[in-house]
Amino acid sequence: MQKLSILVVEDDPLARKVMAVQLKDHAVDFAENASSGRALIESGRHALCFLDLQLGDGDNASGMELIPLAAARGIYSVVMSGHDGEAVVERAYGLGCDDFYSKGNEASNVGSVIARYLNKKEGAKTDVFSERFITEDPETRACVKEALKYAPSELPILILGPSGTGKTNLARVIHDYSGRAGAFVAINCSAYTEDLLEAELFGYKKGAFTGANDGHKGKLLAADQGTLFLDEIGSMSLKMQTKLLKAIEEHSFYPLGSDRAETSRFRVISATLEDVQSLIKAGKMRFDFFQRIHGLSVELKALARRKGDVLPLIAALGRGGKRLSFTPEAKQRLLGHDWPGNVREVKRFVELLAAGEDGRVTPEAVDHLLKTVRAEHGTLSAFANEEHYRFALENGLAAAVDRFSDELIRRGLDENEGKKTKVLSELKISTRLLYAALARMRGKRSKP
Amino acid sequence: MTLDDLIHDVNSKCSSLKDAAKLLPAAAEPEYRELLTLMVRQSRALADALAAFERAP
Repeated sequence: MQKLSILVVEDDPLARKVMAVQLKDHAVDFAENASSGRALIESGRHALCFLDLQLGDGDNASGMELIPLAAARGIYSVVMSGHDGEAVVERAYGLGCDDFYSKGNEASNVGSVIARYLNKKEGAKTDVFSERFITEDPETRACVKEALKYAPSELPILILGPSGTGKTNLARVIHDYSGRAGAFVAINCSAYTEDLLEAELFGYKKGAFTGANDGHKGKLLAADQGTLFLDEIGSMSLKMQTKLLKAIEEHSFYPLGSDRAETSRFRVISATLEDVQSLIKAGKMRFDFFQRIHGLSVELKALARRKGDVLPLIAALGRGGKRLSFTPEAKQRLLGHDWPGNVREVKRFVELLAAGEDGRVTPEAVDHLLKTVRAEHGTLSAFANEEHYRFALENGLAAAVDRFSDELIRRGLDENEGKKTKVLSELKISTRLLYAALARMRGKRSKP
Repeated sequence: MTLDDLIHDVNSKCSSLKDAAKLLPAAAEPEYRELLTLMVRQSRALADALAAFERAP
């Protein structure tokens, strides 16, 4: 952690002691009254100062006069007060203080203040939109800014948007701007069966189940003091939602096979490409779980709805590589494309571009590369494209698999003029499977 | 002392007492003693302030 030069103006010796412990990793000066506080502020050697308002000199708010002094020297001033009436807060901000908190629970207060200070400092130094989340779209910028405003807080954030729009990237940026000391821990909930997801999240003790030869620290524990990013949250089972909800609310949980509770203070950011309200209506997401994960919802638009981002994204993703120049026609081609794979597709396009093209990119080269990307996308998603996925979500995986095999069998029959033996040998399937498919097809046809 | 001052005193002194108590389990010996001494002093000062307010007309 960055060592900061901090001033604390506080008349209460016990409060000073508490602050000394909380700020032990920084260089801290203490002032017991307004006059010594003033002298230290004027020395200008502090980046941040914590000011008590009532400094034991009979004046109810002698700490107030130090705020403009600190502001004038560019010191980030934080008022800590036992008074948190609207008038006091308003006056403090009016005088130029940067932060205000009510005394109590300093362990969390001090950490949050420093995170907000670092966040502000970092924000002034780098522009998030040119380095971390490339977008020139005003609506998307507003969404990201809103999310970053809450980065240092504990507020859970739900990121919505189609696949490839940068949900994981945004979650990571929020974590990096949060100032949280712990790690960013991501898990894709759709990549695991229910049992495996439980083991991955909660961890397990050696011997908890067959095959658990060693203990495993789960993601919840790994995210202690950090951020737990739950991608594809819509695929999580109701049972897992219940279990996770309890862990989020209580900051404690039992790893599988363990009777000892573990504690972990993680912040939750989740993401999904599904319509959350439909999931709730369909009984696939618990309402209390939804309430717990969606303190703030951020929706990222598909790239087709923010075409102005295509060229800046290509420039940013190609940074550090060969400097490319696009002819005006090539640019038109790029802007005319819909980018169904969103930023992920742009990334692949840039990789191909950097690998094989000349410095000057022609419209023909763009057409060729887009075709390659599309072909790759088609190959990769043939078994699980958006339509298949939606169908499986609505009807279950078994129904989706049945539909898939029925269509392949029907095509096999068409291409072999209805010869079943040919289909059996070409598709390497059993008679039972073929007849089950035929029965389903007949069933569909006979339905009114 | 006004009621407003008393409320402020109770708020801020109790806050520091609670925060200091939370530090005790992890505090090593010299710091542990120092915290306890300061906590006792703080509690007495608060009790005195409350008693003075009670006695005031």
